[in-house]
Amino acid sequence: MSGFLRIILVVAALATFPSRTLQAQGTYPTRPITMIVPFPPGGVADQTGRPVAAAMEKILKQPVVVSNRPGAGGAVGMSLAANAKPDGYTILMALSSISIIPEADKLFGRQPTYRMDQLAPVALVTADPTVLMVRADSPWKTVKDFVEDARKRPGEISFSSSGIYGTLHMAMEMFAHSAGIKLKHVPFSGAGPAMTALLGNHVQAFASGPSVVLPQIQAGKLRPLAVWGDKRVAALPDVPTFKELGFKDVEFYIWSGLFAPAGTPEPIMKTLRDTMRMVVADPDFKSAMEKLQTPVDYRDAPEFKEFWDKDAAELARAVQRVGRIEGAQ
Amino acid sequence: MTETLQNLYLGFSVALSPEVLVFAIIGCVVGTLVGMLPGVGPLAGISLLLPATFGLQPTTAIVLLAGIYYGAMYGGSTTSILMRIPGKAASVMTSIDGYAMTLKGRAGPALTIAAVGSFIAGTLSVAFLMLLAPLLASFALRFGPPEYFALLTLGLLVLAFLTGGSMPKTLSMAAFGLFLGTIGIDLMSGFFRYHYGIVELSDGIGIVPVAVGLFGVSEILLTAGQDKAPAVQKPKLKDLPPSRQEWRDSTWPIGRGTVLGFLIGIIPGSAHIISSFVSYALERRISRNPDKFGKGAIEGVAGPESANNSAACGAFVPMLALGVPSGPITAVMMAALMVHGIAPGPLLMEQQPQLFWGFIASMYVGNLVLLILNLPLVGLFVNMLRIPYAYLYPSILMFCVLGVYAVNESLIDVWVMTAMGALGYVLRKFEFEVAPIVLGLVLSPMLENALRQSLSMSSGSYAIFVNRPIAVTMLAIAAFLLLLSFLPLLRRGVASSRAQLGLES
Repeated sequence: MSGFLRIILVVAALATFPSRTLQAQGTYPTRPITMIVPFPPGGVADQTGRPVAAAMEKILKQPVVVSNRPGAGGAVGMSLAANAKPDGYTILMALSSISIIPEADKLFGRQPTYRMDQLAPVALVTADPTVLMVRADSPWKTVKDFVEDARKRPGEISFSSSGIYGTLHMAMEMFAHSAGIKLKHVPFSGAGPAMTALLGNHVQAFASGPSVVLPQIQAGKLRPLAVWGDKRVAALPDVPTFKELGFKDVEFYIWSGLFAPAGTPEPIMKTLRDTMRMVVADPDFKSAMEKLQTPVDYRDAPEFKEFWDKDAAELARAVQRVGRIEGAQ
Repeated sequence: MTETLQNLYLGFSVALSPEVLVFAIIGCVVGTLVGMLPGVGPLAGISLLLPATFGLQPTTAIVLLAGIYYGAMYGGSTTSILMRIPGKAASVMTSIDGYAMTLKGRAGPALTIAAVGSFIAGTLSVAFLMLLAPLLASFALRFGPPEYFALLTLGLLVLAFLTGGSMPKTLSMAAFGLFLGTIGIDLMSGFFRYHYGIVELSDGIGIVPVAVGLFGVSEILLTAGQDKAPAVQKPKLKDLPPSRQEWRDSTWPIGRGTVLGFLIGIIPGSAHIISSFVSYALERRISRNPDKFGKGAIEGVAGPESANNSAACGAFVPMLALGVPSGPITAVMMAALMVHGIAPGPLLMEQQPQLFWGFIASMYVGNLVLLILNLPLVGLFVNMLRIPYAYLYPSILMFCVLGVYAVNESLIDVWVMTAMGALGYVLRKFEFEVAPIVLGLVLSPMLENALRQSLSMSSGSYAIFVNRPIAVTMLAIAAFLLLLSFLPLLRRGVASSRAQLGLES
């Protein structure tokens, strides 16, 4: 990825080595901070992480370097951050899937790549509810139509997802469980290919973040049926939430949050938390998030912790329900 | 037609405005450099520059990023031709005949044809893109998992059949590549396979270390094993441009490569990698002297180089016409647009005509820039061959290690490259072709996922491959080719067919 850039940075760092040791005694931060994004550039985590890093730079007066470390559904980058030195110079921008990976590891009885208690929450940055999408030419106009049809032919209506145990898979699984229906899962290797499969009529439904599907809705290709959020999405005012429709516990967000390795000293954690409070008020950051149509849902560490625990428990249950998947089915 | 011309006029007025033009040139230069460095592929280049585009106009941003993408396709041939180091999967085939030409002292013509072929392919495919995008895009969407599986199967068999060498040898190499590709996380179940507790392997074996090892490192080992060092070349100016015969031999391969590459490129997924492989195989099969392939046939450079450029352009069709990312690179470019509040979708052409047509026009300009940029470089690069091997080869080895390490900052990748270099050495001593290994490795995850996604769709019934017209047609052709390759066995008995298959000479 940013290999050559890093080599250049290392060389530059070595060149300025004597001067750096002199000023190292100051208050945090005295040198560049690395923000690990455990997904490839262009994804949700990257799109949120970069504006956050830019705003942090302005506030902390130190470079915040985004380092994309994708792999194994995010596990590679997350375990890197979990095992990094807790000195505040390595931070992590992660998504909801941070809670899923250890649960899936448990399911397969394999050595976990990281434990959730190795990471301390700093702040929740965004939370985007997913939207249930079907093709515009499909017979289903409402969730009721969809559920009734699915009851009649269990396991025949198929949906695509961004990958097994991925966020989009889990969202559908929660809905299917609550509605008491059985759907057929066809996992793809990302949200993009999953949407392509729906557009090509190779599957019949999929759950997605709103911003990606808005142009397809405007063009009359796809139809939204319901939203997983607590309240309706501003860009889709006519689309009901699952809660309104009587599916009480169907609530799911693709959220992004900032983490630091557990054991990071309290004063540094405080600096990071204060910084994040200023980041979400930064005009450049706000306009970047507006353009991406991603709602900011800032929560400070204690509230974020509470939100995370609840979300993680919900996801753990969903993973358990899906169970171990053997073979193609 | 007049409407297209009007739109194109609008496009050129955008593309030739100073700001856009400057960034198109920057993109092409960066792309050429990125393509030349082994290991740093276009995806890494685009990702690195993505944050820099946040402050630009959306049209400028996309023009810059696209320039890097197709610029890298130009640059990729340089190291393949001069040193037999394919920096990325798309230039693997170029390294076979391109390097053979270098050894014969024809590096200049090889580089020139690669640049000119890329230019023609790039320009023609932008014209296809402009005229056919909406039409082809809906066709591309019909490629679901079953069609994809059929396409990849056909691709592998076509390759083995067309390459003309020993089919069992080619297929066994491809199978080895497919096995290598099963290492890492299983996307359908989340299981880790064959990673032996090494975290880096849980994501699979990278293409770059394998390609660099099998081609570059093995070549260095083979050269080191020779009795005396190869003579240092003193390229003369008159040897730089291709001869009239070389131009003539390249014309049709460039044309065929362009059409083939574009058609494969529009299909969502990463199948466009097979375009250069299929183009090479096709040229070798229809050539009147298939024996000269592998020994420095200009067609083996012209076809694949055109195909990979044209495929890069074809990949924009689903993105521009439908808002569908056709691969990781177009996904990053879509993200760059979304940062500016433009969500690419089916209405992009109507809602953002300036962006759409400016982008198209900038690709015409960019291709011209790349040609002007690359032709003078030919003379410069060819002079690198003046360096005595005692200095040149160790430095090539160093750049291989550095480049491979830089992709993921992983030492494991360097070890993979080393092991592949040793394996490549042994295989080439036994006259196996190593290119099918790379192809197998690239296709393995796609092939496997397409198969299993198809079976998920059909709840386990294989009938899905028979019931879908596109899939069944392609599989039927694949079966026919396979049967055709066994024909000599029936006709001439076992002994002569063993010779025919290349098992005995």
